[in-house]
Amino acid sequence: MLSRVVSAARGEMKRPDVLQISTADKPFTNTPSLTSVPQVFGQKPCPPCAAAETEEGLDRAERFLPPCGPGGDSGNTSGKTDGKLKVLVVEDEPADIELVLHALRQAGFDVVADIAQSAEEFDQRVRGTSYDVILADYKLPHWNGMESVEALRLLGLDIPVILVSGSLGELTAVECIKQGASDYVLKDRLARLPESVRRAIQEKRCREEHSEGQKELARSNRDLEQFAYIASHDLQEPLRMVATYTQLLAERYRGKLDEDADKYIHYAVDGALRMQKLIEDLLTFSRAGRHGTEVESNDCNALLETAVTNLQAAIQESGAQVLYDHLPVVVADRTQLAQIFQNLIGNAIKFRAAEPPVIRVAAESKAGEWIFSIADNGIGIAREHAEIVFAIFKRLHTREEYPGSGIGLSICKKIVEQHGGRIWVESRPGKGATFKFTLPTKTS
Amino acid sequence: MKTAAEVLLVDDNPADIELTSDLLSKSKRHFRVNAVSNGEEAISFLRRQGKYADAPSPDLIILDLNLPRKDGREVLSEVKADVNLADIPVVIFTTSQASSDITRSYQLGANCYLRKPGNLPEFVAVVQSMADFWLGFATLPHKEKR
Repeated sequence: MLSRVVSAARGEMKRPDVLQISTADKPFTNTPSLTSVPQVFGQKPCPPCAAAETEEGLDRAERFLPPCGPGGDSGNTSGKTDGKLKVLVVEDEPADIELVLHALRQAGFDVVADIAQSAEEFDQRVRGTSYDVILADYKLPHWNGMESVEALRLLGLDIPVILVSGSLGELTAVECIKQGASDYVLKDRLARLPESVRRAIQEKRCREEHSEGQKELARSNRDLEQFAYIASHDLQEPLRMVATYTQLLAERYRGKLDEDADKYIHYAVDGALRMQKLIEDLLTFSRAGRHGTEVESNDCNALLETAVTNLQAAIQESGAQVLYDHLPVVVADRTQLAQIFQNLIGNAIKFRAAEPPVIRVAAESKAGEWIFSIADNGIGIAREHAEIVFAIFKRLHTREEYPGSGIGLSICKKIVEQHGGRIWVESRPGKGATFKFTLPTKTS
Repeated sequence: MKTAAEVLLVDDNPADIELTSDLLSKSKRHFRVNAVSNGEEAISFLRRQGKYADAPSPDLIILDLNLPRKDGREVLSEVKADVNLADIPVVIFTTSQASSDITRSYQLGANCYLRKPGNLPEFVAVVQSMADFWLGFATLPHKEKR
């Protein structure tokens, strides 16, 4: 079967996992016609719209027919509202042109057609009109259907091309679709044409929405960078004035006003300094695990030693012991991985119980990933808080009990996830906590 | 007796001018602070133009980067391109932490880049260190020929 060959050749057999995910994508809901678009051969890479195409029980003909005709939403498929299907037919045989158009009209399309019989005509037509679809004979005397695909590519136009031909052979068909044709319909099987057109238009809309989504994403990333810049400069500046001058007030007028005044000034200073810390932390978080970081092979033993060295003051003060087995070499960003160790061990020390902290770091290889564990004998975490501790600025204690702004674990989570891993905590109150994270064991 | 050193402080933030001048005046070093609030005035002061005809020649310029009209980067590059002014040490004193600002400033010939700290104790420490270093330990060029 041709359909099989094509699907397999292009590596696009249906994947249920993709289907599930994409049905939840908001931009692609509210498109009822999607549900009736079948997924047959020559499928384009178009994950989001492939979404709801799996109504297995439906009769094929029933699925192909209704929604795109007049009164349906065919107008929307090309972004127009007049409901007409603008077709360019590349064909030199008048009888064949009639047959093709007849097939479409019978299926309910309100067709407006132009004809092109040469490269020059084709070029002129596509420059002048925005067609919904091009139906091209594969073999014309002076014009090969595939040349129209190439011509469109050169013009930067995304118009689906469906090859309509007497006979072609499977290998040629596969080749044409690889080159960018949307589909291939035999002249003696024109009943397939309406469904093919519908799908080609649908796919084009998917591509447009996808590329719109990409642009939107790029825009929002730029906005975020702009925000980070504003946070680091424009917000810091007035805040610096507040912090500095309330501190100056505190220093030069302490005891000269009254007790309340001293207290209020202290609150103002404290608030400004905390706000500064939050902004700094927010910036650290936004920079953490950013793409384009240097990923290389790292000996985790060395990274752990770095982390321990950086924590020397806290380790000595608390009498903590950090024990670790032979840790593996993993592919990751060196600084970021050291940061994870440092944050997790730092937390283990900070949230210690009455006895001196004992922290065990280990790693085991399991199912294609390393599972690292950092186990302590500290105060532990209640089960209901096991998730929330990873959220940014979430704290389970007051600042008086334990200092910090609640950024450490959210940074760990961001870094681990950027590296393709997961992080979680296993703990019970009073029984210590074991933080675990995974990293893929890939070696390249 | 040694004449007092002259400092030109260029900053558009009156609070920063006040605080920096205040801290400098409390320093053990003997010098005068001249403050201007934008880049154009800074250049007029240095070239003794208009109302600055009798302005002293500064021994040190403390320059903010983000200034109205002519910003600190332009002032810096004009100073360093002017044979009569190029030998005056310029300390950039700004809120900006952008690495592009830091690199560019040194490329343009800044002698030091200091970030304005966000809190008073550090601000005091930075200004005092700056005064101690540039107006105490550092040997500065003679300015008779300017």
